[in-house]
Amino acid sequence: MRFIVIGAGRVGLRTARVLREEGHEVTLVEADEDRATRARDDGFDVFEGDGSHEDLLVDAGVESADAVGALTGDLNTNFAACLVGKHHGCRTVMRIDEDYREGIYQKYAEEVDEIVYPERLGAIGAKNALLGGNLRAIADVAENLQVVLFTITDDSPMKGYNLSEVTLPSAARVLAFGKAGESMGIPLPDDSLEAGDRIAVLADFTVLGDVRQLLLGRSEAEQAAAQGGESA
Amino acid sequence: MSVTAYVMVKSNTGEADRVKNALSEIDGVAEAHIVAGDVDFVVKVVTDSPADVKTVAASAIQNIDGVERTHTYIAMD
Repeated sequence: MRFIVIGAGRVGLRTARVLREEGHEVTLVEADEDRATRARDDGFDVFEGDGSHEDLLVDAGVESADAVGALTGDLNTNFAACLVGKHHGCRTVMRIDEDYREGIYQKYAEEVDEIVYPERLGAIGAKNALLGGNLRAIADVAENLQVVLFTITDDSPMKGYNLSEVTLPSAARVLAFGKAGESMGIPLPDDSLEAGDRIAVLADFTVLGDVRQLLLGRSEAEQAAAQGGESA
Repeated sequence: MSVTAYVMVKSNTGEADRVKNALSEIDGVAEAHIVAGDVDFVVKVVTDSPADVKTVAASAIQNIDGVERTHTYIAMD
């Protein structure tokens, strides 16, 4: 696919690299000369100037692009770029700078298809790093729906069972499975769960605790509470 | 002599409708719009004197829950 990314800063340039690695065609638009040079040195096609100007975006090929990523740190530039992109039939993605604005743009900015708040993604990464362990939230799919990656341990109640024997709550689905040290793939019914294997589950928040208990067992705190209950 | 001013309002809440309604109900506010960009609302204020502009901007608008800061521009034409 063909993409135009406005902004070659820490968000835009990284996004452009990831798209290029996956074989897509990316054109960058950047107002700052130093950043534009850096992106060119990185091998990108860069149009230098204000990404909110339609003529520049037309030069950059907005008419034949599939999507526009408005990823500068400037909301006005980003919104204007989305207006131009939408006018030319592109899918539009806008970076915002404060999380309270997400709902406002979702509701009022019809020209913006998707909103990105990089700090939220950073916070999820930082939280996962801090928590460590065998559970990693990958993505919030909806307000109450999350994709979580579990790593099976020796204490997992489902260790030794096949995937077909894993009965998740009805509001949860196994999305992907990977043996220890191998890449993730489509889950097969006869895949067996061993320590170090990873399993990605889409789950509603209401059943996330049940899924975790099924795949990882009780946490130490929960075990202590259960034992306390039994001895009383 | 009436005075027209434009007040840029930065909020810190996603409740744009509530803030917009509160802005619209203020005496002296002629129009209030939710806008894209680094402020969240642009409010047109029409009052009898420059001092009244200050009352509307500094007191009434700033008192709305969720309003973080305002910038006021008085029209010269």
